[in-house]
Amino acid sequence: MYLILLSIFFPIFAGVCLFIKRENAGRRNLLITVGVCLTLTGLLVVSALFTAYGVDFTLFHLTRSLPICFKIDAVSVVFAAMTMIIFLCAGFFSFEYMKHETKEKRYYGYYLIVFGVLNGLCFAGNLITFYLFFEILTLSSMPLVLHNGSREAIMAGLKYLFYSLCGAYAALFGLYFIYHYGDSLTFTAGGVLNSASAAGHTGLLLIAAFVMILGFSVKAGMFPMHAWLPTAHPVAPAPASAVLSAVIVKAGILAVVRLVYYIFGASFLRGTWVQTAWLTLALITVFMGSMLAYREKVLKKRLAYSTVSQLSYILFGLALMDADSVTGSLLHVLAHGFIKSTLFLCAGAIIYTTGKTRVDELRGIGKEMPLTMWCYTIVSLGLIGIPPTGGFISKWYLASGSLKSAIPVFSWLGPVILLVSALLTAGYLLPLTIQGFFPGADYDYEHFRKQEPSRLMTIPLLILTILSVLIGLFPTPLIDSLTGIISAIL
Amino acid sequence: MGANLLTNYGEAVAMILFGIGFGNLLLQSNLIKKIIGLNIMDTAIYLFLAEKGYIEGRVAPIVTDGVTSVEAYINPVPSGLVLTGIVVSVSVSALMLALTIRLYRRYHTLDLDEISTSLKREGL
Amino acid sequence: MDFIRNFPCISIMLCLFAGIISSGLRGRTARWINIALLLIVTFLSACTLFYTLSTGESFVYVMGKFPAPWGNEIRAGVLEAGMALFFCIIMLLSLLGGQHKLVKEVEENKVFLYYVLTNLLLSSLLALVYTNDMFTAYVFVEINTISACGLIMIRQVGRTIEAAVRYMIMSLLGSGLLLLGLCMLYDLTGHLLMSNMKESIAAIVAQGEYNIPLIVSIALMTVGLCIKSALFPFHAWLPDAYGYSTVSSAAILSSLVSKGYIFLLIKIIYRVIGFDIFINTRIIDVLFVFGLMGMIFGSLSAIWENDIRRMIAYSSVAQIGYIYMGFGMGTQYGMVASVFHMLSHAATKSLLFIAAIGLTDVSGGSRKFIELTGSAYRNKWAGVTFTVGSLSMVGIPLFSGFISKLLFAQAAVQINGKMLPALIVLGVSTILNAIYFMKTVIRIYTPVEATAYPSVTFKDMKLYAVVLVLFIVLNIILGINSQPIVDMIEQGLAMFA
Repeated sequence: MYLILLSIFFPIFAGVCLFIKRENAGRRNLLITVGVCLTLTGLLVVSALFTAYGVDFTLFHLTRSLPICFKIDAVSVVFAAMTMIIFLCAGFFSFEYMKHETKEKRYYGYYLIVFGVLNGLCFAGNLITFYLFFEILTLSSMPLVLHNGSREAIMAGLKYLFYSLCGAYAALFGLYFIYHYGDSLTFTAGGVLNSASAAGHTGLLLIAAFVMILGFSVKAGMFPMHAWLPTAHPVAPAPASAVLSAVIVKAGILAVVRLVYYIFGASFLRGTWVQTAWLTLALITVFMGSMLAYREKVLKKRLAYSTVSQLSYILFGLALMDADSVTGSLLHVLAHGFIKSTLFLCAGAIIYTTGKTRVDELRGIGKEMPLTMWCYTIVSLGLIGIPPTGGFISKWYLASGSLKSAIPVFSWLGPVILLVSALLTAGYLLPLTIQGFFPGADYDYEHFRKQEPSRLMTIPLLILTILSVLIGLFPTPLIDSLTGIISAIL
Repeated sequence: MGANLLTNYGEAVAMILFGIGFGNLLLQSNLIKKIIGLNIMDTAIYLFLAEKGYIEGRVAPIVTDGVTSVEAYINPVPSGLVLTGIVVSVSVSALMLALTIRLYRRYHTLDLDEISTSLKREGL
Repeated sequence: MDFIRNFPCISIMLCLFAGIISSGLRGRTARWINIALLLIVTFLSACTLFYTLSTGESFVYVMGKFPAPWGNEIRAGVLEAGMALFFCIIMLLSLLGGQHKLVKEVEENKVFLYYVLTNLLLSSLLALVYTNDMFTAYVFVEINTISACGLIMIRQVGRTIEAAVRYMIMSLLGSGLLLLGLCMLYDLTGHLLMSNMKESIAAIVAQGEYNIPLIVSIALMTVGLCIKSALFPFHAWLPDAYGYSTVSSAAILSSLVSKGYIFLLIKIIYRVIGFDIFINTRIIDVLFVFGLMGMIFGSLSAIWENDIRRMIAYSSVAQIGYIYMGFGMGTQYGMVASVFHMLSHAATKSLLFIAAIGLTDVSGGSRKFIELTGSAYRNKWAGVTFTVGSLSMVGIPLFSGFISKLLFAQAAVQINGKMLPALIVLGVSTILNAIYFMKTVIRIYTPVEATAYPSVTFKDMKLYAVVLVLFIVLNIILGINSQPIVDMIEQGLAMFA
């Protein structure tokens, strides 16, 4: 129990202390402090996951029927573990990367706070606790977006803030209804709706469900509320974009999982117009995100559009409400997390060493930074879905779930769009690899210079790449444990 | 309806006066006229109260000739209310007049709209 | 323990006498008397609160020797005592927080007048809270207006005098309507004491007589008090009055004066007319609509505003709209939510005003947003406090604003007809709130490279910083520990009936 609290509040506290600390302590001291804090938090999370699994406790009561409570269940484990790994890797990566940025103290402070808040999100035991951390997440991750303080960054930060707040308020709007028509707000597998008091208000509750799904999906960049994502993610420093794009958006996914499977219950939504509308929106986003990524020239923006598209794969799987598709979704959460963080870190490494941001400037980059580009290539293949990488397994489950689900039109339309989008993914990710390794005959080998970044950058890259491959190579234990979750909630 | 109005003509007049006063206080832009409106409004209410407290053919409840029966006197409470009200209204009018003098010394006009425009010009 | 029954009367008297005594003193002495008075009254109100909580019922205190239908009475229950306590705390904090500005903005030889006025204001607020007599209520409404007007114009610049005049005019219109309504009600019932009026009104309604006069008088009183508390279409005087007066005045006006009138309206609804009769009049629908409009238009005006003080003032218009929306729902839950929002808004709004002054002080006294850029770094305490206030207004959990929004929503989902408009407007206005408050927070936290303005540290403003911390604590107490307060409000409203 204390471990849960510690893993949430220690990083927050450490982050706040970092702000209060005096400026002149020197960069080295700062990095050591941050490194120790990050590692400690990581250890705390791991030990909390192992020792406090299934523990359920209430911190205090906001009002009599609204406790702030925490619980670790299987879904928390998946999300918390992913958060922890990516945050540690990206954190150590930023030790090197942040050399060429200013105001490091502020960056690390918010980085730690976001880490703690995400843990809180993963461990939240009811909707109100979740909402609390969801709001704080928006507020504390916004400074990461507007870090460099340029006009563009501030406008992006504001855009992010308003989209997210609107989303959260839409969710709050629905929360009022659940509060009224449900037994409690505690996450319970199968839903909390009270069938007696909800009877006769199904239409209203469906509207509430739809509004809430839309609201929470804002964080996950689902069409039509996706516009903030490609603006906000690329302007942040690269490690921050990595966690934004790989982990923080997953808060939206986690929210939808909690909402659909633990509050409303899959049986309440299955076969309703909400499911149809949600599937439609998710598929539109998948396709549109890929198209936009394909047309985008700036590398980080391209990756951000790719996030839009990939997250909707997950949402699509969740919306199908089929055992296989949900397995695929949760697998894709992990796979996409590792892959997208690697991609952004690669982009960061490239920017850090060469200062180039546009894709067409990066000819021959594979010769200059082979290790980085190999990581990039491997995870790109993963994202496209080529076996034996993680992306393949997850997409396989998504597609087979879709075919099995027997929802008219969507059961075949889904896989088709997934396939088209996979082709587009190849189309927007692989050119960099091809141009990078095979710059063509007119490439100026005279000025060629090997400029691999330092180990502090390459090792996190390697770890994340290996993890994404491992998911693909040995998916069985993961799938088994996920099946356990899914049988409980469906 | 008409008969009621005729018997309660005092109250009807009070209401009309109240309307006039209210309108003046709200719509006039000249401050002095506003204050006059305020006083008309207050007086109208006192008229209303007095009219309500007065009972035809009775006298003020001052015991001079040994008559203690309630039947002989009017209700004294509304008169008391009128007195209190007058005190309040006097102090409020005095305050308003003082404020008006302040504004007049500063802006040399009694027109509230003009004062607003000159304030905007000052840009404070 | 029964002598505690004297406390409400003693607190009102103390305030009046302190006002009279202060008028012959120098500014410093008057200030100490004022602080001592506030502390004493806080203590007395707390005692009353505990007394009523422990006995579980309200008590009536007879002023003078005349018994019920003729004499004047004071009545104290949980809600009255709680409100009095809360008013005292907020007033104390606002005065202490704005003290340094008061010294600068008010002429040396007029400072004592400020304290005379605040003492009178407090006495009138307490009287409004405690009184059981309608005409006494009217008289103290006027005293309240006069002293509030004095608080606005104590800082002698053109704007404040004009604002004071506008405030007076609107207030006088309001009190004229209140008086007329009251006289008509007196005419109908023959009583001035609230409890007796209620009995006669119940009898009148049961007989089905005088329907129209009753509704007219209720409407007159309601509209009068709405005008005085600046409900949406009657809010034109508010931004100037709150925006340019000295900061303590702005905080007191926005968080206490308007709340005093609203509290009187609540008393009229419950203690004079009777809740059920009031609901059946359809006046609540009008209140509901204007409340909703206020929520939207107040926020929109705040978004367009370029001056931080005026922005906060317009935000008050929106928040008053919330309170009237709660009235307009016409249920017990809506009422509880409104009363809680009164507390929450009073705590937050005075906090925002006091914090904003810290920010403008380190920006050369300018209140334009462009000058405020980065001011939170120059005055860290004010920056943090302003952020807390903004988060509370925006409705982030842990702060008081969230609880009041939650209570409103909870109340809204239980009535069918008004549920959707209430919830939708609640959502929209929250988003609008978020737009202008978050905009401001980002603005004050945007770093600027070189600035001509100096920073201040804790040493320069010990009192101010302590007050800010107390404000934050108050806000968080309301946000985290809301359940006992809501219970108290429910108990207090039950005592009203």
